Amino acid sequence: MGKYSLTVNKKTHTFEVASDTPLLWVLRDTLKLYGTKYGCGIGQCGACTVHIDGLPYRSCCIPIESIKDQSIVTIEGLSENGTHTVQLAWQVVDVPQCGYCQSGQIMTAAALLDRIPQPTEADINRAMKGNICRCGTYVRIKEAIKLAAKNISS
Amino acid sequence: MTSRRNFIKVSGLAGGGLAISLAVPKYARTMAFKPGDREITMNNFLTIDTGGNITAILTKHEMGQGTGTSVPTILADELGADWSKVKIKRSDYNPVYSWREMGTTGGSGSIERIWNAIRNAGATAREMMKQAAAQQWGVDTMVVKAENSFVINLITKERLEFGQLAEAASKLPVPEKVVLKKPKDYVYIGTSVKNRITPEVVAGKANYGIDMDIPSMVYAAIKRCPVFNGKVVTYDDTEARGLKGVLDIFPLTLSEDVKKTLHPKIGYVDEGVVVVADSTWTAFKATKLLKITWDQGANGSRSTTSLENEMKAAKDAVSFKFEMGDFEQVLNDRNNEILEVEYNNPHHPHALMEPINATAHFTGEACEVWVGTQDAAQTNAEVAKLLGLPRENVTVHVLNSGGSFGRRYHMDSSIEAAFISRKINKPVKVTWTREDEMMHDHFQHCLRNYLTAVITPDKRVVGVQNKAICTVDYAIWSEKWDHYYAFPNIRGYRAHVPTLVQQGAWRSVGEHSGSLGKECFIDELAHKTGKDPIDYRIELLGNEVDWGDPKDFPNWVINYFLPRKKIIRQRYLDTLEYIRMHNLWKKEMPYGRGKGFAIANFGDTICAQIAEVTMDDSECGFSVDKVTAVVYCGMVVNPHFGRGQIEGAIIWALSAVKYGGITVENGVVQRTNFDNNKVVRMDETPEIEVIFIESDEEPCGLGEPGTPALAPAVLNAIFDASGKRIREIPVRKEIFQSA
Repeated sequence: MGKYSLTVNKKTHTFEVASDTPLLWVLRDTLKLYGTKYGCGIGQCGACTVHIDGLPYRSCCIPIESIKDQSIVTIEGLSENGTHTVQLAWQVVDVPQCGYCQSGQIMTAAALLDRIPQPTEADINRAMKGNICRCGTYVRIKEAIKLAAKNISS
Repeated sequence: MTSRRNFIKVSGLAGGGLAISLAVPKYARTMAFKPGDREITMNNFLTIDTGGNITAILTKHEMGQGTGTSVPTILADELGADWSKVKIKRSDYNPVYSWREMGTTGGSGSIERIWNAIRNAGATAREMMKQAAAQQWGVDTMVVKAENSFVINLITKERLEFGQLAEAASKLPVPEKVVLKKPKDYVYIGTSVKNRITPEVVAGKANYGIDMDIPSMVYAAIKRCPVFNGKVVTYDDTEARGLKGVLDIFPLTLSEDVKKTLHPKIGYVDEGVVVVADSTWTAFKATKLLKITWDQGANGSRSTTSLENEMKAAKDAVSFKFEMGDFEQVLNDRNNEILEVEYNNPHHPHALMEPINATAHFTGEACEVWVGTQDAAQTNAEVAKLLGLPRENVTVHVLNSGGSFGRRYHMDSSIEAAFISRKINKPVKVTWTREDEMMHDHFQHCLRNYLTAVITPDKRVVGVQNKAICTVDYAIWSEKWDHYYAFPNIRGYRAHVPTLVQQGAWRSVGEHSGSLGKECFIDELAHKTGKDPIDYRIELLGNEVDWGDPKDFPNWVINYFLPRKKIIRQRYLDTLEYIRMHNLWKKEMPYGRGKGFAIANFGDTICAQIAEVTMDDSECGFSVDKVTAVVYCGMVVNPHFGRGQIEGAIIWALSAVKYGGITVENGVVQRTNFDNNKVVRMDETPEIEVIFIESDEEPCGLGEPGTPALAPAVLNAIFDASGKRIREIPVRKEIFQSA
């Protein structure tokens, strides 16, 4: 057990949890930020993706003790009221079916477009293949990423 | 309550307001509207408040199929409502709804089952709005119309908003008969209305069962017996109890008396040891520290190999048989060529994105359950039986789920949560780990088809025999009435081998397992007889199957089954003709690439698929480049959702073709997570084209029909590309080296 202080979506929280608790479970059970989803616990499905200092990470594999003075952004903090370019594109294309994996998909896509604002087909596949969707919305996710990229360029 | 068919009854509802309850047969209730009431319950599916806000009550489970938006769309259309003023409210389990109205969400049947009730609910409320306005204006309802949440006087152009009319409407008698809109007058049906869950999903605000959080709730995880039907003998929890945050540890075992009351399949619960803790993580961690001795029972010595041997042995000891014509006679004609092949479609996992979970709060006299379930009624029944409570004391709150695909028909997690909450006297959320979800899935059943065809020297197929060996007691194409392809002599056998894992519905169930052998075999026969696969199917479907003398038919076959089969056969033919007419099949494939065709129905929806593959050096030895799906499903309520369901079903089935087929060793499922249970990801997703055949017939299901044709279409394409017949899934590269 240990006392930790964590900045999530620009707010600092202090709490006590076991030092090996993955960031995912701190976000969900301790901070009640349920937008970040549990999917596999081993970094295979991407449902738990958050940004740590702007880069996408699988929060299920990051023990709380390993996070030092870093800024964490979850789906709830990506924008005010879901207005990030990627979130807007997701709404225009109407991507989700069940929606469960989509927070992770959006966080991965947002990080991709931060790094490569005009990604190629191969860039998109490479960045997104770590995120599983069992409803099979891949066709629409790709369409939404292309739309977001187009909106960034104009 | 009295009711009779096509009659709408008006009666009292506690709490005031007007309520029309519509069902099949229809009935209705109402009570005098009390001054001061704002929200008026027009019927079981809809309330309107005096400000014009409309609430559509959702009785079906939203699990990604879009029903949570499309069903209210149908209601809004018939009502003549402004969609932007319609809010959607999920209903708890409520026995006021009939099975068709609430019941199970599955079998791709939600829209089909609720179609009449929901349109009548909308149309009845619309007529009452029109009457209220007409009375106010002193005109006949003939000269008013409802549109966009207004009633409009067609002569004076005056307008009254629904909210202004709601109170007056609530005092009117309920019309006994209403006229439903014609398809040409639909405003929302047939358009791609946006999914109502999307804004919440993209903002991370969509709540699923696993996100349930109630005050003073604790968290539970369970170490379940890894072998199906195994038992807990003893356990040592010393180490687990030493973990800070662990609150309680106890076995989950049900008495034989209780087990007898629960449904043997959907109420089945694995034995195990429960850890209750102050967080999900602590509960997960503590279950790994438990040392449990199991009695593995009969399944402990079984494996995939032993199952395969049992199935092969059962081939000659079949328990079910039917015969049309005289297969034996053509088989014994020495001039004829005999083709004998074997197809295998193994157990596949669901691997739902949202792991299984449930939250329960038992309070002595009552229990509340929060869960994403495909059957709230059965959840209510099973939990009530477990707790020995009357059903009305169990409340089931249905939450959206992160994919169901048949898995959430099973009540295991709700029963577990109720069991634990009773034991600890606290609200509790049970969360399954991904490993739990994989190893304790209710897998797709396993089917092996031993197929024989008799071919004459002049290349006519005069006999077909199917021996279907299955781990459930059903299989398509193994019953007389399952046959559409009219071979002159058909013989079918079926045998049932006991399962070694839990089984359940898996997107398209028997249609997926049976279509593999059937549609690949037809392709084999087309090649054997030198025919084009599309032309050959049209030829085979050109005649009715010879069912024998109608005087021997059971009544249900005459009244229900054969008329329905006639429609389906016609839809098969229309779909095939569409493909021929639009030249979708006549595509020349270069060396190393191939195309394959298959067609299947799920319910009354037909889905034909053309798969294009390239042979390569990847893990599976091939890649799917493109799938073209042609769908005949009657009216498409929401084309965006419809296309999404077909795209999703294709990707779902492709995961089974490439990575499906679990193995079991000593009763233990050898897959645990997405590292050893691969699924199709974005980089393997083919181009998908979905074509709906235009129709204004009543809408039929779309959730499952995209699944069954995919596997045979891909295997047929692999044959076209490589010359090699693959007769089982998953397909591995090594098969091409040995075949």
